[in-house]
Amino acid sequence: MVDLFNNLALGMAVALSLKNLFLCFLGCLIGTLIGVLPGVGPIATITMLLPITFGIDPVGALIMLAGIYYGAQYGGSTTAILVNIPGEATSVVTTLDGHQMAKQGRAGVALGIAAIGSFIAGCVSTLVIAALAAPLTRMALLFGPADYFALMVLGLMFAVVLARGSVLKAIAVILVGILLSTVGTDLESGEERLTFGWSEIADGIDVAVIAMGMFGFAEIMRNLETTQARDVVHAAIGNLLPNRKDFGQSFWPITRGTFLGGLLGLLPGNGAVLGPFASYTLEKKLADDPSRFGRGAIEGVAGPESANNAGAQTAFIPLLTLGIPPNAVMALMVGAMTIHGIIPGPQIMTKQPNLFWGMIASMWIGNLMLLVINLPLIGLWVRFLKVPYRLMFPSIVVLCCIGIYSVNNSPFDVVMTAGFGLFGYALVKFGFEPAPLLLGFVLGRLMEEKLRQALVISRGSFLTFVDRPLSAGLLAVSLVLVVIAVLPSIRKGRDEVFVGGD
Amino acid sequence: MTEARPDRGQSSSPIKSPLEFAGGLFLVGIAVVGYAGAFTLPFGQLSGIGSGLLPKVVALLVAAFGVVLVLQSLVWAGQGLERWAVRGPVMVLVSVLVFAFAIRSLGLVVAGPLCFLVAAMADRDTRPVEAIVSAIVATLACGFLFKDLLNLPIPFDPVGVLGPLHGPYEGLKTAVKSLALGH
Repeated sequence: MVDLFNNLALGMAVALSLKNLFLCFLGCLIGTLIGVLPGVGPIATITMLLPITFGIDPVGALIMLAGIYYGAQYGGSTTAILVNIPGEATSVVTTLDGHQMAKQGRAGVALGIAAIGSFIAGCVSTLVIAALAAPLTRMALLFGPADYFALMVLGLMFAVVLARGSVLKAIAVILVGILLSTVGTDLESGEERLTFGWSEIADGIDVAVIAMGMFGFAEIMRNLETTQARDVVHAAIGNLLPNRKDFGQSFWPITRGTFLGGLLGLLPGNGAVLGPFASYTLEKKLADDPSRFGRGAIEGVAGPESANNAGAQTAFIPLLTLGIPPNAVMALMVGAMTIHGIIPGPQIMTKQPNLFWGMIASMWIGNLMLLVINLPLIGLWVRFLKVPYRLMFPSIVVLCCIGIYSVNNSPFDVVMTAGFGLFGYALVKFGFEPAPLLLGFVLGRLMEEKLRQALVISRGSFLTFVDRPLSAGLLAVSLVLVVIAVLPSIRKGRDEVFVGGD
Repeated sequence: MTEARPDRGQSSSPIKSPLEFAGGLFLVGIAVVGYAGAFTLPFGQLSGIGSGLLPKVVALLVAAFGVVLVLQSLVWAGQGLERWAVRGPVMVLVSVLVFAFAIRSLGLVVAGPLCFLVAAMADRDTRPVEAIVSAIVATLACGFLFKDLLNLPIPFDPVGVLGPLHGPYEGLKTAVKSLALGH
């Protein structure tokens, strides 16, 4: 306990330096600004803004990136409430009641409770991260290569269970991600793999290139198809601060949402996406009058938004302690950290305590800033959202191009991003979900490395994966997950969770 | 994009789920490219896995999933293929390629507006004058933000396209800077 507070104090000292405070503020602000753009989710936002952190020291850069991430999350919720377009999967639920509230002239209250709920969730999950970090890091040191491999298999299996639609397609898309991860020079033999003689990809494909193509350009192509009349709220934004009754109604949903979201966010394999759905379903079940849901029930905003933010934050835990990204956003964070020369994993906490605790402390500060920045700036976001899409999307394209060019100062990267844009568009058209691909891509490299190490240690015996209790246990759970995923009765329940809001 | 056909009467065709069928073929295609790229690489032994093992095994798995999807599509009825838009994706792709080819030689001052305008053509609602003005404003704003504020090494105007306008542009920048810094 004393350790926890000492560590947090160290973190606060780092995060509260004038420079880092400013970077956190700037990250939150720009993150929200880009995240508010309809159809631009956190993945595209982080990729686009990655180059602006290049000139900054690693601690500051990561604090800023984390700020950009929360900002983008919150910006997505703002768009969901005001325009009824979710920036990403996790804010789909918010559109249901949030947009209804906005139509009834209660947009301000909806945005207010979303911000307050997120803040509360953020505070709790920051403490959870701080408390779990040390024991998990110690545990990570017990992990051998075989255990790591098994853990990643488990993560990918979770991603399969949690992906929408066909299990077959989810597994296939992860495999395609792993296949893409093998492109480039083999680290052990130095042989070029799948490069087809192109020296430009001899170092492998940059995760930013794939992310920007599939979540930036492909998303724009899809948005252009549906020339949906964007439904920017014309009603007054109204009071921002929820009244006593609103608070009363939201208190338990926020508490339950924080708990649910935080817990699910810890799961390897994109558990965070489930939080808002689970919270919405739970609130609807517990409500005295479930028919209010979908018609502007404040609980339907407060719960899922808290769950969303709690999950977004606890998702950092597997990344920071084990070095394993649990979802696509965190996979991108691995790329971002690597650019700054930081390899995510248990060694960060012991070798760079400043960075580790500074980042955790900045999460709390970032949440406070979101509350302080966003509530007064809502008028600005509304005006921003009224810019017609025909002017907005070409600007997004230019911003994406500049962003991706600046990652390596390479025009070839820009060309490849265009290619992945088309690839991502095709994937979606063929009914595949693109997010697991990114996770498979980042985990693929790690998995191959650990697999090879494990087999070298065991002198080529696959029994090592079953002999070690940890790895055997993890693989057993993975197997159970696969079985669960294909069982029709459970699949039905899963689909209900995802469409539960309709 | 020949797949642009809407799904036809499904009763006459052996393919009961065109979406799964096309998805399966797509996977097989990816697998073939992947396997070809790793064709000459060795499998190695279990104690020392070769560089070719993982790509080949994964490519085979992808192909297997593709085949299963195709077979499924012959048995179970499912969704039809979605319509593929042509104009939007093509214009967006071309605009990105234009940017890639112009950025080094002509700089952001040309690549930016070109990219913006080509992309804008993806949308039927685009109004020319409005788009041109926005393209110039967006480019100057990006140049200011990325080049001057963030010091990214992005080529702005390597060949002097701005010409006589260069002076006024610098003046504008100084004005904005001093305004932003509150001097």
